Amino acid sequence: MSNLFVKDIVVSYSGLPIIDRLNISIPDHKITTIIGPNGCGKSTLLKTIARILKTDRGAVFLDGKAIQQLSTKKVAKRMAILPQSSEVPPGLTIFELVSYGRFPHQRGLGTLKLEDLKQIDWAIQVTGLSELKDRPVVALSGGQRQRVWIAMALAQDTDILILDEPTTYLDLAHQLDILLLLEKLNKEEERTIIMVLHDLNLASRFSHNMIAMKEGSIVAEGPPSKVMTSSTIQKVFDIDANLTICPFSTNPILHSYQLSGCTQDLLENANEG
Amino acid sequence: MIPNKYVSEYQQRRNKKNISIIFVVILLIISMLIISMNTGYIRLSPKELFETFFGMGTERQSLILFEFRLPRIVLSILVGMALAVSGCILQGISRNALADPGILGINAGAGLGVVLFISFFPSTTETPVFLLPFIAFLGSGITAVLIYLLSYKKGEGISPVRLLLTGIAIAAGISAAMIVLTLKLDSETYQFVAVWLAGSIWGSNWKFVLSLLPWILILIPFVIAKARVINTLNLGDVRATGLGLAVEKERILLLGAAVALAGAGVSVSGGIGFVGLVAPHMARQLVGARHQFVILASAMMGGLLLLVADTIGRVILQPSEIPAGIVVAIIGAPYFLYLLVKSKA
Repeated sequence: MSNLFVKDIVVSYSGLPIIDRLNISIPDHKITTIIGPNGCGKSTLLKTIARILKTDRGAVFLDGKAIQQLSTKKVAKRMAILPQSSEVPPGLTIFELVSYGRFPHQRGLGTLKLEDLKQIDWAIQVTGLSELKDRPVVALSGGQRQRVWIAMALAQDTDILILDEPTTYLDLAHQLDILLLLEKLNKEEERTIIMVLHDLNLASRFSHNMIAMKEGSIVAEGPPSKVMTSSTIQKVFDIDANLTICPFSTNPILHSYQLSGCTQDLLENANEG
Repeated sequence: MIPNKYVSEYQQRRNKKNISIIFVVILLIISMLIISMNTGYIRLSPKELFETFFGMGTERQSLILFEFRLPRIVLSILVGMALAVSGCILQGISRNALADPGILGINAGAGLGVVLFISFFPSTTETPVFLLPFIAFLGSGITAVLIYLLSYKKGEGISPVRLLLTGIAIAAGISAAMIVLTLKLDSETYQFVAVWLAGSIWGSNWKFVLSLLPWILILIPFVIAKARVINTLNLGDVRATGLGLAVEKERILLLGAAVALAGAGVSVSGGIGFVGLVAPHMARQLVGARHQFVILASAMMGGLLLLVADTIGRVILQPSEIPAGIVVAIIGAPYFLYLLVKSKA
């Protein structure tokens, strides 16, 4: 049994049920990625696991206890959350923002102790920000800024990292850059990583475990080889997928794809042309 | 002592600079205090001031200094501090650069409480002054709850713009209500309301200083102790929850502190706006975004700002006076518009 699992949850958003009786278990020390079309409830599931959203029924269990019953500070020592990027308060340096990650470990006025400083320093180093740490965060590019948020989560010193679309708005190189960093953290530090990604190929390449969702339910879950099949993709996204093998990870990736039902016509057109 | 290798030299200098800046503002307050003591309709030369201050002046001189000028000066500083810290909290927890207890109508609510109270105790000499901040807190508290409820939309929470517009509408409504009330009351109360609305430091004697002081001495250290919490709230609700903050509980506590500070402040001054807007902004320009520094710097900037405004108001049209609130508004209103334009872009 893993440390983190979801049991029989019902989650609704302004009266409408988004997730109805969902069960899932998140494997420890692995990278798990949730995929699915817009509005399928993947972000809702992620936010529920991160205790941002409350369940109507059922619960998320961490170390055998319902997460809403645990003190929020205790949970913050076990899991860190990276929501989709939001504005940074102006006037903060990278060092200062990363130091905010120490919040659950601090008391009183929050003077940084040696232990805090060591953790902050490590987080800045591992995300490759050492040279930039005195810069104002607002002056950074999107990719650098995402690294700062990851550094802040690392300063929080948790074994679980939860990320909501960490590569959105980044160019290809910076997307890889972030995912390679997460892969490294998983390998070297054995951190459990749970994230939502839109890009199926990146999801397949970097995950140990994938969860495919549609309309609030899980369609398939397991290693990429099991989830990235043309029948699952057809079910989840309504597309006909042509799959191949990623040369970098040996996991299946999309070669090309087309809306379901159009494939035959298109192939004929292509042949005639 | 923490080894330097973990904190860059730049960061250390930055922290030291922030502390020096706060001390410089304190020095400015002290110099302004001295200037303010010897300005007024009856001028006291520095020598007379010095003599009077140490009990060697004439009876008339000590009356002017100790009974008229000094309490008013001290009161301006304290009210400025209270309003600035209130604005600093509101801006920090709502992530809204335009939040200010005056603009949001919290001051007006406090004022209505004070006016109702004064109309029951018409003569200021008999007024149980220490009750004023409590009454004002009640008035501002009810107003704050009202604004909160009106700008809250289920599923969406509170948008900064809706909060601002509701606040402005409520402030206008309460000011109108105060004027209507005065029609029913005697002319003395009318006078008081007119002065209050203009934002004059009206309670200029030691009784008022003493009634406000405990609020400042309790609430400002409380807020400073919560600096880390405000920093975290400033990152947004989701991130704050992720960092292990009990968001709703802490926000209500801090909102309560902001309302109490604004209420207590304006209970002894008039409805002074913009200090809570301008002072925290200046403070952030000077010391960055960490509230361990911002709160103290805001308090000092607020004290300085209102002291300067009140001194200017006292001397510029002698022998009559311009209320400090108007002087502050002359600086604050354009600043508000500037921020409004900037935040749209």
